[in-house]
Amino acid sequence: MTSASPLHATRRGFLRLAATSAALAAVARLPVASALSANGSETVFFSAYEREILTRVVERMVATGAAEAPAVRETRTIEVIDRLCLGLDPEVSGVLPTLLRLVEWGPVLFEFTFTRFSKMSDAEKDASLRAWMTSRIGLRRRAFYALRNLSYLGYYSQEATWALIGYRGPFRLDEEAPA
Amino acid sequence: MSLDLRELEEDLREETDVCVIGSGGGGAVAAAEIAAGGRSVVVLEQGPHWTAPDFTQREEEMLPRLFEEAGMRQTVDGSVIVLQGRNVGGSTVHNLCYCFRAPEPVLRLWQREFGLGSLTSEALAPSFEQVERNLRVKRIREDEINAMNRVIRAGAEKLGYSGLVAKHNRENCVQSGFCILGCFFGAKQSMLVTYVPRAEQAGARILASARAERIETQGGRVRRVRGHAVGEAGRTGRSFEIGAKVVVLAAGAVASPDLLLRSGIANSSGLVGRNLHLHPQVMLAGIFEESLQPYRGIPQSYVVDEFIDLERDPRSGYYLMPVTGFPTLTAAGLPGFGCDHFRFMKSFDRLAGLLVLLHDQSSGSVRPGASLGSPEIRYALEEGDRRRLARGLVHSAEVLFAGGARRVVVPYWVDPLVLEPGDALGAIEERGIHEGEIAISAAHPQSTCGMGSDPSKSVVNEFGESHDVSGLFVADMSVFPTSLGAPPQITTAALADRTARHILERWPELAA
Repeated sequence: MTSASPLHATRRGFLRLAATSAALAAVARLPVASALSANGSETVFFSAYEREILTRVVERMVATGAAEAPAVRETRTIEVIDRLCLGLDPEVSGVLPTLLRLVEWGPVLFEFTFTRFSKMSDAEKDASLRAWMTSRIGLRRRAFYALRNLSYLGYYSQEATWALIGYRGPFRLDEEAPA
Repeated sequence: MSLDLRELEEDLREETDVCVIGSGGGGAVAAAEIAAGGRSVVVLEQGPHWTAPDFTQREEEMLPRLFEEAGMRQTVDGSVIVLQGRNVGGSTVHNLCYCFRAPEPVLRLWQREFGLGSLTSEALAPSFEQVERNLRVKRIREDEINAMNRVIRAGAEKLGYSGLVAKHNRENCVQSGFCILGCFFGAKQSMLVTYVPRAEQAGARILASARAERIETQGGRVRRVRGHAVGEAGRTGRSFEIGAKVVVLAAGAVASPDLLLRSGIANSSGLVGRNLHLHPQVMLAGIFEESLQPYRGIPQSYVVDEFIDLERDPRSGYYLMPVTGFPTLTAAGLPGFGCDHFRFMKSFDRLAGLLVLLHDQSSGSVRPGASLGSPEIRYALEEGDRRRLARGLVHSAEVLFAGGARRVVVPYWVDPLVLEPGDALGAIEERGIHEGEIAISAAHPQSTCGMGSDPSKSVVNEFGESHDVSGLFVADMSVFPTSLGAPPQITTAALADRTARHILERWPELAA
């Protein structure tokens, strides 16, 4: 890999992330905000607090602008993600709860604003996620894509979303053959 | 007979003639042929033994069942997704069934530069024929080419590019299109429905959910394999110990070197885990006016081979291959998020994907990772390979436009290129290929335990036997000395067949 590769996280980048991790340890001990309290959680891997952050992240990741698109909260998107993470090797999935807290407090830690992700407007949330996507720190970008792809796995597994994209779902033997 | 080790109530100890580690394109063949030759065989497979009714045609269920790390395995820097199977039958259960023999110019390169004089097409012919017969390999029929492949073929032919309708290993295919998620209809002639049952019928025992963790030797000879039952989330169960006179390692080009390095054996050359090739691939998407339902029908039936001339250069070149995905896989390959992403996603049923599959000179490595389930994979593209991938994307865009695409999306993660007919395609090469800026994936990791005649420059000999440890063989894509330059399923199986024949011929000596 050339030194120009944007994924090649610099030593400074790692140090910043390490510093952030230290901050996270403190973040993890903060009291759960009332707006993010348990809300009929059916997740096992994620706590109610993490589930709520995840829901808000997924809502922006899969935003379509289409009125007929099913809302994330009306589907089992989050349960599908939770089930998947539960089955993964902890070496792979273990970082996700911490990552969600990092997203929630990212605006404070990285962008020096005084608003947590969950308190932001949709446009502000998108800007915050875009900062993850375009970060010069490779690990931040990888974290973004992990959350993005989990979001798509959860959302597009929902049959209610298939009509939006013209997907017919699993094949049946009595199905009319494509042209 | 198959046993899932998660069901064990006590630790398992067995003795066998031959222990095969891995049940995919190499392991299943070796197991079946050795068992048919009269030797007792135990096969260790770290994934479960799913069968056709388990293949539900749903991504959220099948990705975790069939793929290492649910399809999210990647290089250490996150730049390349590495797709590998994790189930009885290995990657043959999810592959797309292209059937190519090893290209002759590549075999000649191996003969010339690696001292593999016996690896001629003629010498390998019996193994190729046997494998192709058992996998029911045949040319894809014209009426089996789906709409997506048809527009790509039309574009290539309009431009005068060389291409071909490939051979495949399907029987009574119902055109469901779900090959990559396992075949619910049992039409795909993967190892799961061919060589694994053949091995079982010949008396081999298949131990599923059995993770080999260490190969032990004694006096320069292989002696036993130790490991644990492994379940969901990497949870381990009972331990096992399989004593064997011969061990055939066929866990794939990531897990095989990982196991050798963890075991501290067979590495006098220092080359175990080195020289990793991936056949890296990048893709772009054409958006057509009409619905193509690209996810129905055989996903890959046509291939453009205009840009690989192995007679001229056996070390480089690239194919253009159609590619399709279901909603999640497609969404993961498209750029952006939110509404920016959905503007592409809403064209899902009008998309034709075309990927550039590179015969790579770039290389990387595999090392043991922090946990048993996650080896460290490193890989870096060389400048020449970057240029070839970028050039391949230009040709792909040409083909898609010639086939009728209204737009072509080059899916750079940030600021993707959205091109229309008549746009200058040089923009793609100006932008180039850089890790982390565009999705790069790989389904053919190989070459990490290379074959050769010189023990200082290779890990195994021409029959896959370790130069260092008597009775230890490698029979998977690890043994390719260079990138193969063609889809590897048939070559992997044929070399494993050859290794199995060699083991049977040498059995009195190996068993002594």
